Amino acid sequence: MKILIKSATIVNSKNTILADILIENGRIAKVERNVKEDADRKIDAKDKFVLPGLIDLHTHLRTPGREDEEDLISGSCAAAKGGFTTILCMPNTNPCIDNEGVVEWIREESQKIGIVDIIPIGAITKERKGKELTEFGALKKAGCLALSDDGSSIDDSYLFRRALEYAKMFNLIIVSHCEDKSLSLQGAMRECFISGKYGMSSIPDIAETIRVFRDIEIAKYVNTKLHLAHISCKKSIELIRKEKEIFSYLTCETSPHYFILTVEDVEKSNFHGNFKVNPPLGERNDVEEIKKALKEGIIDCIATDHAPHSFAEKEAPFENAPFGVIGLELAFSLTYTYLVREKIISLNQLVEKLSYNPANILGLKERGEIKEDAIADLIIVDVNKSWQVISKNLVSKSKNTPFLNSELMGLVELTIHQGKIVYERPFFPSINLSSGE
Amino acid sequence: MVEWTKKHILEIKDLTRQEMEVVFNLASSFKEVSQREVKKTPALRGKTVVNLFFENSTRTRTSFELAAKRLSADVLNFSSSTSSISKGESVVDTIKNLESYRPDILIIRIDTGACLKNFLNYTRASIINAGDGKNEHPTQALLDMFTVKEVKGSLDNLNVLIVGDIMHSRVCRSNIFGFQKFSSKVRVCGPPAFIPFEFEKLGVDVFYDLDRAIEDVDVIIMLRIQRERQNLAYFSTLREYVENFSLTPERLKRAKKDCIVMHPGPVNWDVEISSTLKDELHPLILKQVENGLAIRMAVLYLVGAEKREHKTLRR
Ligand SMILES: [Zn+2]
Ligand SMILES: [Zn+2]
Repeated sequence: MKILIKSATIVNSKNTILADILIENGRIAKVERNVKEDADRKIDAKDKFVLPGLIDLHTHLRTPGREDEEDLISGSCAAAKGGFTTILCMPNTNPCIDNEGVVEWIREESQKIGIVDIIPIGAITKERKGKELTEFGALKKAGCLALSDDGSSIDDSYLFRRALEYAKMFNLIIVSHCEDKSLSLQGAMRECFISGKYGMSSIPDIAETIRVFRDIEIAKYVNTKLHLAHISCKKSIELIRKEKEIFSYLTCETSPHYFILTVEDVEKSNFHGNFKVNPPLGERNDVEEIKKALKEGIIDCIATDHAPHSFAEKEAPFENAPFGVIGLELAFSLTYTYLVREKIISLNQLVEKLSYNPANILGLKERGEIKEDAIADLIIVDVNKSWQVISKNLVSKSKNTPFLNSELMGLVELTIHQGKIVYERPFFPSINLSSGE
Repeated sequence: MVEWTKKHILEIKDLTRQEMEVVFNLASSFKEVSQREVKKTPALRGKTVVNLFFENSTRTRTSFELAAKRLSADVLNFSSSTSSISKGESVVDTIKNLESYRPDILIIRIDTGACLKNFLNYTRASIINAGDGKNEHPTQALLDMFTVKEVKGSLDNLNVLIVGDIMHSRVCRSNIFGFQKFSSKVRVCGPPAFIPFEFEKLGVDVFYDLDRAIEDVDVIIMLRIQRERQNLAYFSTLREYVENFSLTPERLKRAKKDCIVMHPGPVNWDVEISSTLKDELHPLILKQVENGLAIRMAVLYLVGAEKREHKTLRR
């Protein structure tokens, strides 16, 4: 199948060019003006932008174990609809992704579905218990590029050091969920004036920052790569900014809710479960610092931390509700609406945070950029279209997002994965499904 | 004449001074009813009041139950020990399932804070907060304030001191919001771990030294200490807590002469309050119980009686 995209405004992280794109055998065959070749499908991209397929370093697909909340098909569709062509899924499943069997199973099943590339993140410790290392070599052979015990941090500093050393041998990246549980305890929201006013059990920002500091110091000592997940507060960023000057193996991500929402939104929601995330939403100065760090490049990536939860679980009282919000279908539009349109970052920087840098961190050389010979993972977006976040139109099985009913700018029109159209709004042609819009 | 428009009593934060005065006036008239031979009034006849207690509290439940019965309502009791709730049914499911009884008023006590507003989506009934997590306990604050008003004649321009576990106290929060609306000044005192983050921003004065905090106060509310807090290092030993934060006759002398002391009960004598003050303070604590009944009758009446628009009261 040959696809020819005409009059594309191609947005890469480093430049924007006007050209035609010819896709053949799953690869980008040509990027040049006035491609004359015949194709099975011609797409006119006039007035739209063509971006490399987005890459999400941080999702929870709930499979295996909680397929009622998300399965590989619904997760793949949500990703494609949101413009993602590669997603990494965290190992806090049941059974846990801590051995090659589960990794191979997810790889095979997701390839059969064929909508996006799903790369499991293996656990660092068996059953994510923070006691015994998993077999890093076997996980790598089965397809893992990164390892994490996301959901918890490895409290034992000795073990975390050994994990980093062992990961270095296999050239695997450790993704760290930074949380000092002895400080965060059973907290439900950021410790702040509002938590005190409502007597809400709370988590101080230093629960994150203290662990950020420890993790960086150990990674520096071992001299190996470290990626910090979902950075949420100013203090952590100030530390990361300093360390990045001397330690080039350090990378980090944040999630859209951390550069948009604050504790005040938690209060305004009357403490609805959809506003409960871990780490918790911060204050206005945290949001401002995160935006600044995205602009400066201190924060390398925007990842969704897509965390589906059933309606019933999220309707529970705030202090009992589980942590997490969905993000795959929203991340592009949220980033466009709140960062690009607000002139905090450029569209090129959006591509850098959502595609180029994630590809680089994972060592995926043929992704993250639209160029000849690269894998044909790309999306066409219309940034002038607005849309409303409506529960029934979300293809994710779970609808837990604080952005329900908000109006967002920027719509993914088409997603091509490995040279195949996997989403053409509102259809998923390969599985004969519509997103219902 | 003040018109009552609230369908629910969820937080003192949401009540105005005028609304609280309506409650107090009504409570006064219900106190008279209690002294009559026939204690019942037919105000809530035919209404269904459900006591939905996800957390045990015999005292509060009994007070609400008696208040509802005095108003001739039908009362149903569901507590965490009763069947459905203990079977792991969710809180929201329980509320939805109760709809089949067509309740008019749900009185909810729950161990999680600030969750009641989201429950309004699942019931047509009025909700009265009987204590939600560490957030608020509005009827307790109303009865505390009502008691102060009876003794002092007014709630204006008082110095109110609340001592103890401020952090975990819903009674404390409700009292702060209530007294502040009457332009009284509130001070809180306890070990720093018991004082919430940036609590001064609420407009309260924070003290760690009870001897200083107590100077010149008109009202003292002593909060109950849960001994388990010691295990989480909120304070070191009970002995040291008592030494620093127990109300003794010597300390009480530093307050205003006519200072009154209250406690949401039950008191740990010789922990929060020295037992040598027992005889002196006991009458007021009994008065609080009696006033609790009147206040609860008042709020039940206000949210429950027909034609809310006619519920106007002469001040
Ligand atoms: Zn995490
Ligand atoms: Zn996560």
